[in-house]
Amino acid sequence: MFLGLLLRRVLSALQAGRPLVAAGLALVMAACATPPAADDEAARAAYKEANDPLEPLNRTIFEINRGLDKLIFRPVAELYRNALPDGLRDGVRNAVNNLDTPNILVNDLLQAEWRRSSESARRFTVNSLAGAGGLVDLMAMEPGEDGEPVPFHNEDFGQTLAVWGAGEGPYLVLPIFGPSNVRDAFGRVGDLFLDPLNHVIPSDVRTEFGLSRMLANGIDSRSRVIESLDDIERDSIDLYAAIRSLYRQYRRNEIVNGEIQTIPAPDISINFDDDLSRERRAAVLQ
Amino acid sequence: MVTRRTYLALFALAALWLGPGLTAAAAIEAGQARTFIQSLGDEAITTLTRSELTANAREAKFRRLLRQGFAIEGIAKFVLGRYWRTITTDQRRRYLNAFEELIVKTYAARFEQYNGDSFRVTGERPDGEAGRLVESEINQSSGPPLKVQWRVREGSEGLKIVDILVEGVSLAVTQRSEFAAVVQRHGGSVDALIEELESKVKALK
Repeated sequence: MFLGLLLRRVLSALQAGRPLVAAGLALVMAACATPPAADDEAARAAYKEANDPLEPLNRTIFEINRGLDKLIFRPVAELYRNALPDGLRDGVRNAVNNLDTPNILVNDLLQAEWRRSSESARRFTVNSLAGAGGLVDLMAMEPGEDGEPVPFHNEDFGQTLAVWGAGEGPYLVLPIFGPSNVRDAFGRVGDLFLDPLNHVIPSDVRTEFGLSRMLANGIDSRSRVIESLDDIERDSIDLYAAIRSLYRQYRRNEIVNGEIQTIPAPDISINFDDDLSRERRAAVLQ
Repeated sequence: MVTRRTYLALFALAALWLGPGLTAAAAIEAGQARTFIQSLGDEAITTLTRSELTANAREAKFRRLLRQGFAIEGIAKFVLGRYWRTITTDQRRRYLNAFEELIVKTYAARFEQYNGDSFRVTGERPDGEAGRLVESEINQSSGPPLKVQWRVREGSEGLKIVDILVEGVSLAVTQRSEFAAVVQRHGGSVDALIEELESKVKALK
């Protein structure tokens, strides 16, 4: 696979030249944010909450990704959305999801989610056999055993690691792939090994297959969030920090499978009866 | 033994007597929060989407609904986090104004382009000790329905929204980390954040 290949190249390059390792380490150290002074309580708390010791390096990669997005990904996604009718794009989405489903099943099982495991197993068989090879998601359309359609769900090894108790580790921005953290970056590599498809596809076309799958997934995903991302960019005063927070919360929500009640409510006070509040209320009445 | 039992009985009696009064003050009646969100949503759609409204009139109506439906000052305070305690009353005044202005400028105009996406309250459940979480769906013209949840609390002026979650992502939490990042980038200066908010408001005019 593409990522695996890349990783192997980087590793062998690292082994070939120890000085390179030292240089790389120095670069990472230089890219580290300096933690705020011990007596600055508010700053220290904010630093801890951000959990982003590599922030300067991450911000640089983030800006490069953003440039690539402006130049290539967003225009391609827009072209794709304009060129293909809705139905065809939904077919692409379903096919990509269907190819992901064996690996989702593996992760469902690793998380001991039996109900979701059986959903994934049924989805892959039903859609591959009767759903035009995965272009149609029959499970999400037709009522299942309990009379309700079964919508697609996602799982990956990063989520499995979290269910097993691994912390997320520092925030990371990966080149091209974007927001991540140490746990989810390991998860990506883990998924490459776990994915049953990677063991079934003949080795001579594995790279091409992996690349096209990744490309289709990337372009279709990007085409579905064009306006949302534009809005976030326009509304935010620090896009990098907004995306960092969005990613963290989104993953937390995915890990608990959307069970919101396991995420504590923020401590927002409702009564605000001081002079400032009265003054502001009086101003409105005028 | 007898005295202990008597105490227990007295205690139970007291709990029974005081109990309902205490809980009534703290908990929101089932169904109340749901109705509150649905009617606020309906009102927003009927009053804010009219195309003949000028931008100013739309903003004024939006601001009224915002203050009526949201614990806007409590949210502003939460979003600023630890820095709230460190600033003067004058800075707080400027911050609150800029915070509210930014929300008004950002969201009021969205109702002008309202394209008929339907808003439907789908459920309600307890949230934390005294709050309710109202679940809703926004059916978009393309793609699956968007899951939006509203955290509702009861204050001295009735029910108020304290946070909105879109697909499990909290707007208040996101904005809080964004604001913290801006303050940090400026060496802990809340003034710098207020200035950025004010210039963002100006840019949106």
